[in-house]
Amino acid sequence: MTARRPDASMDLLRQISEQPLDPDYRVVAARGEAGRPARRRWALGLAAVLAGALFAIAAVQNTQRAPLVATERVELIARIKTAEAGLQAQRAQVAALDADITRLRTAAASGDGAAEARLAAIDRLGVTVGTVAVTGPGAVVIVDDAPGADSDTHDRVLDLDLQILVNGLWEAGAEAVAVNGHRISTLTAIRGAGEAITVDYTSLTRPYRVEAIGDSRTLPATFTQTAAGAWWNDLARNRGMTFSLTGVDSLTLGADPGMVLRYAR
Amino acid sequence: MLPLIGLLLGIAVGLFLEPSLPVVLQPYLPIAIVAAMDALFGAFRAYLEGIFSDRVFVISFISNVLIAALIVWVGDQIGVGSQLSTAVVVVLGIRIFTNAAAIRRQLFHA
Repeated sequence: MTARRPDASMDLLRQISEQPLDPDYRVVAARGEAGRPARRRWALGLAAVLAGALFAIAAVQNTQRAPLVATERVELIARIKTAEAGLQAQRAQVAALDADITRLRTAAASGDGAAEARLAAIDRLGVTVGTVAVTGPGAVVIVDDAPGADSDTHDRVLDLDLQILVNGLWEAGAEAVAVNGHRISTLTAIRGAGEAITVDYTSLTRPYRVEAIGDSRTLPATFTQTAAGAWWNDLARNRGMTFSLTGVDSLTLGADPGMVLRYAR
Repeated sequence: MLPLIGLLLGIAVGLFLEPSLPVVLQPYLPIAIVAAMDALFGAFRAYLEGIFSDRVFVISFISNVLIAALIVWVGDQIGVGSQLSTAVVVVLGIRIFTNAAAIRRQLFHA
């Protein structure tokens, strides 16, 4: 019995790399088979045809299957778009019904003095409560974290700071306030959730832009005299947070979309 | 010459007639292709070294294809189909590359 080679355990790898050619070729050549009977030539040709057909079938199959995945994806995207369009249509329907209700309410109240007065009071209060959009002169406050304050909470704008700011603006005589485009109504919450401040349950991104409608000349001055003005003065001077208050001639604040009718009799 | 003509004829037949394999066999087509490539490269190398024998080629081609498909099919039945298919592709791939290197040496140095 022949002694085992030291690398006998690597036999498979060695065989694969050292004997890639079928050893039968050499054996048959050594035997020296002469002549090629016609039957063998037919077998050779048939094997070659089979090989070619195999390659062609695989190629055809692959090219036919690739567009299938693409069509599926396109179909999914189309379905998403249809659902989104349906959502938009329903939202438009809600807005149209809202307008109808307002119209009918005004029509039902016409001629009835008490009802008309009540409707006028509702419209007037809507400005402060947040159910109607408002346009007018006012002030814009832009606040931001201190530059370079990533993890140090002392130098970042907190929900408490925004609450104090909004309250200070109300105290200074603002008629309507909005933070980053979200109208502050009686039901709006300014809260901190994790790392972000949320207004009306939507997260805000820095910098924070607070708009208030009021007298553009006196609003800034009155604000700095309130407790909120002192608070923000301290934040801006001692902690380096950004605070800028400017009066503007014309501002438009949208209505709060979350103010829906909750009680009717 | 005859094998080359046969190969081209087979490719033409496959492209124009577009025969469709039965669905049961379709997953084994890629592994059959790799096994066929291994047999073809071996045959070409043997031809260049002057020891080509059509009997060996036919037998090695057909047995390669059938055994590779059989191994992957058995693997599918016991649940290791993809791993066995990987192993078959690795082994045949090494053989294909070694044969291709020898062919290159024969063609460009001899």
